[in-house]
Amino acid sequence: MTRLFEWYPIYLREMLLFRRKLFKLGYLFSAMVVPIIYLVAFGLGLGKSVQTGHGNYLDFLIPGLVAMSSMSNSYTWVANALNLNRLYFKTFQLFVQAPISPFSIMIGEVCAGVTKGLFASVLIIFVGFTISPRFTITPLFIMVLLLNCFLFACLGIVTGMITTSHEDTSTYANFFILPMAFFSGTFFPVDKIPPVIRWIIDVMPLTHTNILMRKTCLDGEGAVSLAVLLVYAVVFFMYGSHTIRRYSE
Amino acid sequence: MIDVADLTKTYGNIRAVNKVTLTIGKGEVFGLLGPNGAGKTTIIKILTALARPDSGRCRIAGLEMDRCPAMIKRMIGVMPQDNNLDRELTAGENLRIYGMLHGLDDLAARMDKTLAAVGLPDRRGSLVSHFSGGMQRRLLLGRALLTEPDVLFLDEPSIGLDPQIRRQMWDLIRKARIDGRTVVITTHYIEEAENLCDRVGILAKGTLIALDSPSGLKAQVGEYVVEYVNEEGRLVQHMCPGRTEAHALAGRMEGTVTIRRSNLEDVFVKLTGERLE
Repeated sequence: MTRLFEWYPIYLREMLLFRRKLFKLGYLFSAMVVPIIYLVAFGLGLGKSVQTGHGNYLDFLIPGLVAMSSMSNSYTWVANALNLNRLYFKTFQLFVQAPISPFSIMIGEVCAGVTKGLFASVLIIFVGFTISPRFTITPLFIMVLLLNCFLFACLGIVTGMITTSHEDTSTYANFFILPMAFFSGTFFPVDKIPPVIRWIIDVMPLTHTNILMRKTCLDGEGAVSLAVLLVYAVVFFMYGSHTIRRYSE
Repeated sequence: MIDVADLTKTYGNIRAVNKVTLTIGKGEVFGLLGPNGAGKTTIIKILTALARPDSGRCRIAGLEMDRCPAMIKRMIGVMPQDNNLDRELTAGENLRIYGMLHGLDDLAARMDKTLAAVGLPDRRGSLVSHFSGGMQRRLLLGRALLTEPDVLFLDEPSIGLDPQIRRQMWDLIRKARIDGRTVVITTHYIEEAENLCDRVGILAKGTLIALDSPSGLKAQVGEYVVEYVNEEGRLVQHMCPGRTEAHALAGRMEGTVTIRRSNLEDVFVKLTGERLE
């Protein structure tokens, strides 16, 4: 195997494990249950009183749910798996002891995270097509979805590598992922939020994913959001690679 | 084959490995013997690129660990103390992933050969979670042998195994030696070190306190042991250089006295004042 494909065994391993989980009925249910609860509670319940400027609230909500789902699945799968593999199952050590570069380990883990994030997103997209006839997918939507999965898979690597216990992974998720899910424009527009909080919201990467996913083509605002996402992706990727390169027990 | 000089590794304020220096020859079976926490696993981790030392030098086949880690990783096979097989994958999938990570081309043939060698020829498609503990240990050893490494690191290879399976494991290790591999074993089983190793290094609190062949170590402290229970109920042991001296000493004692050959645990107790656990 050439150096170019050193990452593939790591990806293959994750996919073999993922396939086994898919055959267990609980997985599909758990991947869909949270977004569907939000869809019913917000979309069909509270959403009737929300003014979005996008017409039907479901048209506003579904791209946000796809963004949220891709974020949480890419992040959680990678962070949890890496943390468990490193601290408890010790399977991560196999990668470190193999004659492959830390960069390849990073690529393999990130690709696995992107695949899992995309899988969960596709489930929500199917639901979106079913309940909202006006829901459409554009090339920009697909590109941003991929970028969002990539970015949060990289963040998952960082978390999985720096946490010293499995409980810490949940703590990081509670501090960063959960607030982002609710305050980044997934469920309601953020333009009426007070400026101080708005500044924090504007820093969150999911805010920019939500902005881009609701656009049909790239305009000035979209270009700024895309640049922000790219910066986050590069920073998280570089830092994740660094943590793997510096790994020592 | 392996050249270690002044190796030191500290965790917090605990010095896990303290200026260890040793050389292991090609084709040698070398044992690191010591109680839990003596630093055996830490040395293996450093030699297999899993941990970085604070100071010291580490060479395998003349290659510096910090300069040529990838080349060294191609030459070594590792059986860790912790079972790090993927239990939700089959034996074949575990070997396949490992082989791909090491860039093996003729994987199918090697997998068949390896599974046959460790006595699991018909279990390629079985989930590892369905294996017994002994089968999982054998598969771990098989995985380490898949790449046909020059150096085999075995960290407590027979830990938790019953005596019969342990002897099967020893046969596999002897076979690796016959095949010309250098084998480094960590163990706290006296019998294992005595049965398998050409030379043994005894570690206590991170420091290498003795290094010789098992018979050489025993000769250093006395080849015979005279044991008796004193009035306080404590077992008292005296090391004697030979059988004659042991019998002479036993003849001067009252009550039940036992004379036996010394073992590596006696060496460890004599050198450290502590027992192996």
